[in-house]
Amino acid sequence: MTRMKRAAAAAVAAGALAVAAGCGSSGSTTTVTAPGSSSSDSKVLVGAGSTLVAPLLAQWEADYLKSPAAVTITYGAVGSGGGIDAITAKSVDFGASDAPLSPDQATACKSCVQIPWALAATVATYNVKGVPNNLKLTGPVVADIFLGKVTAWNDPAITALNPGVSLPSTHITPIYRSDGSGDSYVFSSYLSAVSPTWKSQVGASTQPTFPTGTGEEHNSGVAAAVQATDGSIGYVGISYIAADSLNEAVLKNAAGQYPQPTTGAIAAAASAVTTIAPDGSISLVNPPASAAKAYPMSTYTYAIVPTASSKASTLKAFLTYAISSTGQAFGLPLGFPPLPAAVVTHDTAEIAKIGS
Amino acid sequence: MTVEAHTESLALARRGRPRFGDLALRVLSGGAVLLVVAAIGLLVEEVVSNAWPSMSKFGPGFLTSTVWNAVTDQFGARYLIEGTLVTSLFALAIAVPTAIAIGLFLSELAPRRLRAPIGLMVELLAAIPSVVLGLWGIIVLGPLLATDVEPWLHRNLGFIPLFSGYPSASGLLSACLVLTIMIVPIVASISRDLFESVPGELKQGALALGATRWEMVRGVAIPQVSAGLVAAVMLGFARAVGEAIAVAQVIGSANRAPSSLFGQGGAMAAWIATQFAGTATSLQRSSLYFLAVILLVISLATNLGAQLIVRRIGRRMGTRA
Amino acid sequence: MESLATLAALAAVAVLGMVIYSVARRGAPALSLDLFTKLPGVDPFGRPTGGIENSIVGTVVITGVATAIAVPVGVLVAIYNAEFASPRVADAVRLLLNLLAGVPTIVLGVFMFGLLVIGRGQNAFAGSCGLAMVIVPVIARSTEEVLALVPSSLREGSMALGASRSRTMLTVVLPTAVGGIVTGTIIAVARAAGETAPLLFTTALFASAVSFDPRQALGSLPLVIFFDSEQPSQFAQQQAWAAALVLMVVVLVGAIAGRLLSLRTRRQIEKAR
Repeated sequence: MTRMKRAAAAAVAAGALAVAAGCGSSGSTTTVTAPGSSSSDSKVLVGAGSTLVAPLLAQWEADYLKSPAAVTITYGAVGSGGGIDAITAKSVDFGASDAPLSPDQATACKSCVQIPWALAATVATYNVKGVPNNLKLTGPVVADIFLGKVTAWNDPAITALNPGVSLPSTHITPIYRSDGSGDSYVFSSYLSAVSPTWKSQVGASTQPTFPTGTGEEHNSGVAAAVQATDGSIGYVGISYIAADSLNEAVLKNAAGQYPQPTTGAIAAAASAVTTIAPDGSISLVNPPASAAKAYPMSTYTYAIVPTASSKASTLKAFLTYAISSTGQAFGLPLGFPPLPAAVVTHDTAEIAKIGS
Repeated sequence: MTVEAHTESLALARRGRPRFGDLALRVLSGGAVLLVVAAIGLLVEEVVSNAWPSMSKFGPGFLTSTVWNAVTDQFGARYLIEGTLVTSLFALAIAVPTAIAIGLFLSELAPRRLRAPIGLMVELLAAIPSVVLGLWGIIVLGPLLATDVEPWLHRNLGFIPLFSGYPSASGLLSACLVLTIMIVPIVASISRDLFESVPGELKQGALALGATRWEMVRGVAIPQVSAGLVAAVMLGFARAVGEAIAVAQVIGSANRAPSSLFGQGGAMAAWIATQFAGTATSLQRSSLYFLAVILLVISLATNLGAQLIVRRIGRRMGTRA
Repeated sequence: MESLATLAALAAVAVLGMVIYSVARRGAPALSLDLFTKLPGVDPFGRPTGGIENSIVGTVVITGVATAIAVPVGVLVAIYNAEFASPRVADAVRLLLNLLAGVPTIVLGVFMFGLLVIGRGQNAFAGSCGLAMVIVPVIARSTEEVLALVPSSLREGSMALGASRSRTMLTVVLPTAVGGIVTGTIIAVARAAGETAPLLFTTALFASAVSFDPRQALGSLPLVIFFDSEQPSQFAQQQAWAAALVLMVVVLVGAIAGRLLSLRTRRQIEKAR
C-alpha cells in the first residue's frame, strides 16, 4: 500500500512540476513574438487605440476587406492610452493614438514610428434644456468649468459670451474621459495653452486628474452621458457630434473668431501649422492668430507602428491605403478633412521605414 | 475490519497483479488537485510579481496616498479604498437585515407552498449576471435616482453630509444599490439554511414556554446561528468588495473622497476594470496589479475567516449532536 | 416583525421581477433574426448597425472550452476527495476550492492577461481559462456532494465482487452520480456564460467576423452588453438589452433546470438506497 502511494505521489508531483514549469516560463516577460502568431496569417491585422479615429477605421475595415488585398482589420477602440500600451507590449500589430508618444513611451516602444493618418478635431459638447446649438465659449471659461470654478449655466462668464441666449440656472456637470484618451490629451493641451490656471493645476495628458465631474470610458461613454444628463458639458471626437446628434460649442480662436468645427476650419488649422517635429508629431492645438478661420482644438491622429514587424508588408500596404485619397475620402462624412499633401509625403517616407 | 480494508488486503495478497486502474485514477485525480493548487499559486505569483514595481516604489504609502496621476506617475489608493469601503459597507447595511429577514421568511414564516417558489426567485436573483445588473443600473436605476430619489433625499435629509451633493445618475449611491441587490441573495440563502438547521426541539421548546414567534426567533434562533450569520455577512462583504463590472458601469469613475453618496467615486475592482486596458505608463499598470493584490488579500482573508467560523460551528454541532 | 420579514422577501422578489421585466420589455422588441445572423458594422457616419452573430458564436466557443477544461478537473478533484484523500487533506482541498471561489473575477482577468496574453495577443483561450477557474469550484463542490450521496452499499458490493477502486468508480459510482454531475455542469455553464471580468482583458479586441478559433480573440455576449451599455446610440442600447435578454434566458433556464434536475437526481439516488 505504501509503495503504491509513494509511486503515485511521485508521478503526480512530476506531472505537476512539468505543468507549472511550462506555464511559468511564459510568465510576465514581455516577449516580442508577433501577435496572433498562431495564425501567422498576414491576412489579418489587429490594432487598438483611439476612439476618435475608430469610426474611420470601421469604414476602412469594411472597404479594405473588399479590396484586392483582402486583409481583415480587427480594431479595438480602447482609447489612445490603451493603443500606445498595446503596441508597446506588442499585443497588437498597430496602435492608434491622437496623442503622440511621450519620450518615455517612445523609448519603451522600441523604435516605433508614429504616422499621422487622419486629420480631425475634438469638440466641446453640451446638453442643456432650452439652450440651442453652437453656444459660444472660450478656452479659459471651459477651463474654469472643468476646474469647478464656474458651476451654473447662467454664470456671468457664459452669459457675457452669449447675449442673445437665455441660459437657465442649471448646475453644470462636467463629463470627462476616465480612460487613457487622445481626446483628453487634445482637450487638456488646448486648455493648458489658453489657461495658465489649468496648466499649473492639471496640465496636459491622456489621463488628466480632473478635479470635478463624472468620468466615462471612451468617446461613446462621454456622448451617452452628455445625452442623458441635463446641464452636462463634455468633449468628444468630431464624428460623434453628427452621429449622436449632439450640440457643439464654438470656441474662440486666437484671432477672436468662433469657427464651427467644419472640415474647412480644421483644414485651416492644419495649413497654419506645417512644422513636423522630429518624432513625427504635429500639434494643431490653439493655432496662431494668423489662421483666422482655424478651429482651435484640431488634431492629427497617429498610427503607431513598429519598424520591425513580422507583418511589415501587410502593414505598409494598409497604411498606404489609409493615407491615399481613397482612404481619406471615407473621412469626409465623419467630419475629417483629407490630409495635406505635405503630410502625405512625410508619411510615405515614414512608411518606407517599416521593414522586417 | 471494513469490507473495503478486507478487499484491499485480499488484493495485496494477489501479488503480481498490478492495480493499474487504481494507480492511474489516483495519479489523475491527484494531478487535478495539484493543478488547482498550482493555478492558485501561479495566480498569486503572477499578480504579486506584476505589482512589484509599484509595491517597491510606493510601499505602504500606497494605501494612504490620495494621488492617482498618470502624468506625474504617482499612484495611491486611499480614495479607492475609501470608496470601496463606503459602497460595500452601505450595501451591507441595507442588504444584511433584508437578507436575514428573507431567510427567516423562507424558513419560518412563509406558508409551505410558497417556500420553494420564493426561494427559487431569491436564488435566481443571485444568478443575474453582474453586467446585466449594471446595464439596468445605468438605464433604469440611474435616471430614477437622479430625477426622483436623490432630490427627495436631498430635500428631506440634506443636512446629513452623505446626502448633500448634487443629484446624479451615476455615483456612489447607484453603486451601493447595485451591490445591495448582489449581496442579498447570498446572505439570504445562507441564513435560510442556518435557520432551518436550528434543532426543532429548541424552537418548539421556546414556543411551548409561551414565547411569540418573534421572541423565539430573537431569543433562540438568532443566537443559535449568530456565528453562521457572521460568516454569511463576511461572504457578502467579500462579494461586494470584489465586484468590478456592475460597479464600474454605475459609479462614475472619479478618484475622489467619498463625502457624499450622490457624488462620483472609485472602488478598487471597478478602477481596475476601467483603467487596465488603457494604461499610459507601466507603473500605472503595475499599480493596478497592486490594487489586485489588495483585493486578493481582502478576499482571501475574509473567505478564510468565514470558513474558519463555519468549521468551528460544524465541530460544535458535531459534538453537541 | 413578521410583516417586515414578509415585506423584505417580497421586496427581493419585486427587484428580481423589475430587472427581468426591464430586460424583457426592452430586449424583446430588439430581438430579430438580424441580431442572430448579421455581423456588427457601421454606417458612413460611424453609427453602429448589424447584429451580434460573432459574439453569440464566441460565447458558445468560450464557454464550451471553459467547460471542457473545468469539468474533468472539477470531477477529478471531487473523486480525489471522495476516494483517496484523508479527511484532513479533503478538508484542506475543500478550503482551497472555497478560497478559489472567492477570488474576485477581475483578479482572475488580470492574472490571465499576464499569463496568456502578454506577448501573444488577446485570445479566447485565455478567457476560457479564466472562466474555468471560476467554475471548477462549483463543479467540484456539486460533484463531491453527489458522490457522497451514492450509497456505500453500492461501492462495497462492487469491491466485494473483486472490482478495483477505479473500476468501481468508473462503472458503478460515476454512472449513478452522473445526473448530479450534469446538473452541476449546467449551473456552472450558466454562471460562466454571464461572467465579464475574465474576458475583459483577454478577448475584448475581437473581429467582426464569425470565428470558432479559440486562439483568436472572440466576441462574447457579456462584453457586447458591457460595451454597448455605455454607447449613446439608441441602436446600441437596444442591442445591449437584446443581448441581455438572450443571456438572461440562458442563465435563468440553466439555473432553474439545474435546480429541478438536482431535486430529481436526489430523489433517484434516494430510491437506489
